[in-house]
Amino acid sequence: MVSKTEETQLNRLENQVDNGGGGAWEYLCLARKLKVRRPEKVLKYGLSILNDSKKRSALGPEEWTLYEQVAIAAMDCQCLDVAKDCIKVLRKKFPESKRVGRLEGMLLEAKGLWGEAEKAYSSLSEDNPLDQVIHKRRVAMAKAQGNISAAIEWLNKYLEIFMADHDAWRELAEIYVSLQMYKQAAFCYEELILSQPTVPLYHLAYADVLYTLGGLENLQTAKKYYASTIDLTGGKNTRALLGICLCTSAIGQVSKGRNKEDKESPELQSLAAKALEKDYKERADDKHGLLTCVLRSLKI
Amino acid sequence: MAEDLVLDTAIRDWVLIPLSVVMVLIGILRYFVSKLMRSFQVPDHKIVKEGQVIVRARNLRAAANFIPPKSFRSRRVYFSNEENGLLFVPKGQAQNAQAQMFSDPNMAMDMMKKNLSMIIPQTLTFAWVNFFFSGFVAAKIPFPLTQRFRSMLQNGIDLSTVDVSYVSSRSWYFLNLFGLRGLFSLILGEENATDDTQRMMQMSGFGFDPSKSLGAEKDGLDIVQHEWALPKFEHRAEAVLKKIVS
Repeated sequence: MVSKTEETQLNRLENQVDNGGGGAWEYLCLARKLKVRRPEKVLKYGLSILNDSKKRSALGPEEWTLYEQVAIAAMDCQCLDVAKDCIKVLRKKFPESKRVGRLEGMLLEAKGLWGEAEKAYSSLSEDNPLDQVIHKRRVAMAKAQGNISAAIEWLNKYLEIFMADHDAWRELAEIYVSLQMYKQAAFCYEELILSQPTVPLYHLAYADVLYTLGGLENLQTAKKYYASTIDLTGGKNTRALLGICLCTSAIGQVSKGRNKEDKESPELQSLAAKALEKDYKERADDKHGLLTCVLRSLKI
Repeated sequence: MAEDLVLDTAIRDWVLIPLSVVMVLIGILRYFVSKLMRSFQVPDHKIVKEGQVIVRARNLRAAANFIPPKSFRSRRVYFSNEENGLLFVPKGQAQNAQAQMFSDPNMAMDMMKKNLSMIIPQTLTFAWVNFFFSGFVAAKIPFPLTQRFRSMLQNGIDLSTVDVSYVSSRSWYFLNLFGLRGLFSLILGEENATDDTQRMMQMSGFGFDPSKSLGAEKDGLDIVQHEWALPKFEHRAEAVLKKIVS
């Protein structure tokens, strides 16, 4: 994940380049390092560097990395002829390269020729069975064709080998949620929490899934995870605050008549409600009335 | 007896500095040669998977307190199950890794190349130092030493009454050998092949032995006591919210 300082740096460079100051090359390098997706800007500035032969020769051996980056950005923006030109140049320079083969596969994908792309990828992965990018492209292709179960299959196969890749776990979790397979999604989110326990996003998503699954135990666990999200974000996450209110009222409903074990945090709900009201007053005063209605209906 | 020998400054000009310069140059030369000779080693399917398993098991151990006890337990069983757990390695296989490494021609060639590139320049430089720079006192070490070091540091000097702090150029060579590592990482960037000391340490703990690390991870995982940290978080969230609301 991109840290806050890196994000501010990227935005600053972006503004600088947008307003005509120099620094296009640093911006492209940073975008490449952080793996952010800014295809229009990368395409515009990358092409301006590549078309100027003086600037191009000033890059030296980095020129080819820039070609690759611009090709991928062009495919993202659907400027396929630009991409084809870049790939042709790369192919001339590196005739036997697997990396260029990958790019050609991606071009076929971008054109929508799924069968040929699949053939290209399978031949590449035969030579190189441990190439992570090819596996991921296969998953992306299956997803783009709408074949979600094949995407899940490929992703599971990928994760059997590369089980420490948390981006893949995240993708799998989102696919499962879209298919409403919440138990499996909960498993994936647990993996994510294990690998990066201080990222509040994963706690929040996990709590959401648990709340959706329902059942007293899950609701109580969900409440705990909403609380941990609040703790990790310093109370600023509106979704977590609302989650606490919903969870507490749902628990109350489920365990109606039974002994309520609320000794852990009795005030949490009221505190969350107060924090929410304060937040809404400050930021969205017009919706404050809505909020008070909702909160009143929850406090059964 | 601590008499003070006055050392000629010519020693500094003609011995210490040229020796350091030569060692730096040889190091740079070795770096470029190793870059040329580096062969791309295709990572083995099984080794990659084992590496990833280890990372995942380590994550599980480190962050075990963040997930509910039931999930932790099921994961622990998944990893250390007797029959088909990921970390479980039957005794027979444990020996194979080392034997495999010796018999695999590719890996043997690689190791030989690495060893050669380390041993040959060292031997040559050492012989050169001995031939040209022996038989005189080269430097004085600023702190006092015991008599034990005499044989090591004063090799060319055959006077037994000279204080052990006065050393021959051989010791200057060794000092440079270990000390220039920092300098090389500045000039050549990270990951340079001149990291002899690291390689020497690695050779004693031989090579990448996946089965041992798997066994170690499994033991670590078995030891972990799960103590669910989440209830604590509720209290902390309360405190945070109290601060905001008040």
